[in-house]
Amino acid sequence: MLEGLRSPNIHTPVNLSEFSSIIQHYPTSTYWAGGTYIMSRSDYYPSNTTNDEIIFLGSIEELHRFQRNDRIAEFGSMVSLYDLIYTGRSILPKILIENIQDIGGNIVTARMTLGGSLCTREFRSSLCGTLSLFDASCEVKYMKKKRMHSKWFPMISIYDKSGKLNLPDKALISRIRVNLMERNYQRFIRKGDFFLDQENSVSIAITGNPEQDNFNDARIAITYPNKGFISNHDLDNIFSSARFPLDQDESKSIEDAILSAVSAIFPSLSKLQKTRTRGIIKEIISDLNINALTTASFDEAKTNI
Amino acid sequence: MKIDCTIDGKALSLSINSNKPLSLILEEDIQNSSLNSHCNGQMCGFCTVLMNGKAVLSCLIPAFEIRGKSIITFEGYAKTKNAKDIEKAYDLTHLKPCPSCYNSRTLIIESLLSNNLTAKEDIIREMEMLKCHCLEFNDMVRIVQAASEIRRKRHARRA
Ligand SMILES: Cc1cc2nc3c(=O)[nH]c(=O)nc-3n(C[C@H](O)[C@H](O)[C@H](O)COP(=O)(O)OP(=O)(O)OC[C@H]3O[C@@H](n4cnc5c(N)ncnc54)[C@H](O)[C@@H]3O)c2cc1C
Repeated sequence: MLEGLRSPNIHTPVNLSEFSSIIQHYPTSTYWAGGTYIMSRSDYYPSNTTNDEIIFLGSIEELHRFQRNDRIAEFGSMVSLYDLIYTGRSILPKILIENIQDIGGNIVTARMTLGGSLCTREFRSSLCGTLSLFDASCEVKYMKKKRMHSKWFPMISIYDKSGKLNLPDKALISRIRVNLMERNYQRFIRKGDFFLDQENSVSIAITGNPEQDNFNDARIAITYPNKGFISNHDLDNIFSSARFPLDQDESKSIEDAILSAVSAIFPSLSKLQKTRTRGIIKEIISDLNINALTTASFDEAKTNI
Repeated sequence: MKIDCTIDGKALSLSINSNKPLSLILEEDIQNSSLNSHCNGQMCGFCTVLMNGKAVLSCLIPAFEIRGKSIITFEGYAKTKNAKDIEKAYDLTHLKPCPSCYNSRTLIIESLLSNNLTAKEDIIREMEMLKCHCLEFNDMVRIVQAASEIRRKRHARRA
């Protein structure tokens, strides 16, 4: 053991009631899920500032559960991203699977958990934005008057307006619920290394139902790992009010509108983040233009027959 | 903290800090020389080991999680029959990883084979993590598929 370095106490509750009694005794403990974020901090080890008490969430049986019906899928917060795509592959939205596969191979995603991905404080995972498109909600457990309370919140409300985590201190996310909505168009695009080059990275997740020149039910989320994510109706409306195909000027005005919306919330975006955001929007518009043109010619062909 | 685990087949009882990364335990407490790096979780991939048969990045595994587990490093793995299958695949395809990534890449291939992940996309996704460009993705697919065939034949002979 390193001289002078404290070895933290590891608590391993096996169920939620054990967890709540431990957190009452050690209210300043650190929650440990997959540990990938915690261990990748440059000052992780050796460090004199490490918390003396760690609560390892991995043995809490309730946090590993998974259930579904026709409309929703519900996951315990300790379900790993790997398990999420392998158990949920046939039911989960395609974009969610693509997003997880984009984060990394099985070796790392088998360690990363859903709860850990939502709760990193200084880093926003691309997953938060994508989940918000499916109106994800979270069950939050928190201590009040020495008792454990639990409440479901829309996932978006555990973050502030700029996508920063806004959970009460020591709150635990225990379950995450995702609405299983059908969307014909789903795309996840990331530019830059989300973890190693946070200053310059961005990801955009977008879903909707293109129909002739309309893009119905448009939902869009833009994530900047070092800042937060934005997903709101104003942003959605920029896309759903457009008529496709768009010409160059119309396309540029959509790009400008989106950039001004994100810059209002994140005034310190880097130049490359802005350029990349514009590039991704262009790519999406081009997709939707192609889609509108092909359905239009298909419809024309049908009327000619 | 006292931690009992098995490393390369040896049962050990270690007295270590509970949150010490496995990569450091292997280097400092076990003097294992088969790891090539300690990137502090920046995912260079060079510190791969097998934990209960699955490939993991040892810099992302804390000491308290290895309790009761079996860890195989390249040092221990290199002596096994399974390792020979992969070596044969390197020879057969005339493709060999460079010395920097050889150990980790071989263990990742082992993890792919033992978990039956030999589809092209699975191989590429796993290999992408290693920050070393000594082999093309298509070459890695050839190696894994050759190794899988060699292993299948060996098991068929044994049966
Ligand atoms: C090398 C590397 C590359 C990465 N690349 C990407 C990428 O490309 N895109 C991307 O989006 N992300 C990326 N990430 C970040 C990754 O998404 C996070 O590290 C991971 O999701 C965290 O999950 P975890 O289970 O390991 O959490 P941990 O590291 O265990 O915990 C993270 C934080 O959440 C808290 N916490 C954990 N669970 C809960 C809970 N249930 N309730 C309340 N608080 C909780 C912990 O106390 C801690 O503060 C990368 C990470 C690494 C190490």
